[in-house]
Amino acid sequence: MISQDESHPMKSCFVTVGATASFHLLLQAVLDEKFLAALQDAEYTHLLVQYGKDSQTLFEDLLRKYPPGSPGRHGIVIDGFDFNHAGLDREMRLAQASPAEGRNGGLIISHAGSGSILGALRLGVPLVVVPNSTLKDNHQVELARELQKQGYVVASEYQEVSVAVRRAEALRTRMLAWPPVTGTSQKRHRTLDQVMSDELGFLD
Amino acid sequence: MTPSGLSVTSSLLWLFILGCTVGLSTLVVFLYALYISQNTNIPQWRAKNIPSHLLVVLGSGGHTAEMFSMLRRMKLDASKYTYRTYVVSSGDNFSARKAIEFETTYLNQAQKANTTDRTSAESYTIVTVPRARRVHQSYLTAPFSTLRSFWACLLVLRGRYADQKPLSSMVSPYPDAILTNGPATAVCVILAARLLRLYNFIGGFFSSRKVSRAEGLTPTDYQLRTIFIESWARVTTLSLSGKILLPFADRFLVQWPALEGKKAWKGMRKTEYVGMLVD
Repeated sequence: MISQDESHPMKSCFVTVGATASFHLLLQAVLDEKFLAALQDAEYTHLLVQYGKDSQTLFEDLLRKYPPGSPGRHGIVIDGFDFNHAGLDREMRLAQASPAEGRNGGLIISHAGSGSILGALRLGVPLVVVPNSTLKDNHQVELARELQKQGYVVASEYQEVSVAVRRAEALRTRMLAWPPVTGTSQKRHRTLDQVMSDELGFLD
Repeated sequence: MTPSGLSVTSSLLWLFILGCTVGLSTLVVFLYALYISQNTNIPQWRAKNIPSHLLVVLGSGGHTAEMFSMLRRMKLDASKYTYRTYVVSSGDNFSARKAIEFETTYLNQAQKANTTDRTSAESYTIVTVPRARRVHQSYLTAPFSTLRSFWACLLVLRGRYADQKPLSSMVSPYPDAILTNGPATAVCVILAARLLRLYNFIGGFFSSRKVSRAEGLTPTDYQLRTIFIESWARVTTLSLSGKILLPFADRFLVQWPALEGKKAWKGMRKTEYVGMLVD
């Protein structure tokens, strides 16, 4: 789908806004010259945007400002799609390093949906979480903050997303294993299997 | 006041007192049943080779993704949880597809699912119930669609819903355990399960059979156990489904320490912190 030229290994940034709610502010922030410049500085070559069902016109309007070859584009190849009902695993994998396919490790920028956060953590790709502050229920901010505190993700506001590109490069150098390894110091909890066995009355 | 007027007033008064008594005693029975059932652990009685029926409610998008993430991480054993029912809301193709994917690729039910004779070997089913409230649906009609959804959940639990086949290997059509992480349909299923159990509990008072605590209990006394797992995305506050289900779920698991020990009211079972269950 996306080809890379020989001299320059591909390095992708994948942005996802999720399926349920639109997130125009994030779209505007990533389809902006400042952000594209930050990508170029960090040697990114590609930007792939999942913009959601009702945002195609916005995406196209924003893109029109930076036609390919124009200085504002900063040489980034930009592509977009509304949503993939089969899940976003394939798109996320484009940001995963793959020497065989000439790909350097990239970056995923996600609205704070738990599905996309888990997907990125599983792949071990640096993740920038941008909670959609326009939504009423704001529990995602807490999740983003807590995961940042534990060193798993970079939490960012949509206004600071170009700065977050640099922070994500720093995160890449100290990525933690996922799922978290339970240390011996931590308290032992009942596992889900044990809880289910309790309720089913299994003898063991 | 005329004598007839007096008698009408007094009979109205009696009716009122009667109504209050009935209402209060219903409430007391209800709360008592809730209290009892939330604080009893079920005895260990089931050997590994006794078939068991697990019902998993798949919320939608992120909830479904989390559910399968947890089932993968716990390495769900198909020989232990021998029959699985997945409940999805109408129009939620993502969840249905994820359930098939989980069964075929993870639990290796591929050959069984592909055979044309679907009745014999298949050890799972996917049931689609009407949605409680669609996005953008008016709040005026929402109570009716919620009732319709609730009724469908009751039928599912009794094994009487449209896409369900009779389970010959099970002692009863009731699932043994219900596993869910929200939202709307999960609330319906858990409340329906508790209603069925309340019904059986009260029925037990009126039927002549006298059961002792330890033995003489039929397996149906232990069925419809409910486990609610608060979403991994909930760090410091419970979700709306969680708040509603806090007094009703038998086990309420939370994945962040700040949510540990919450309870509906004094004397009720507390939430259990179990660490991150997702992978």
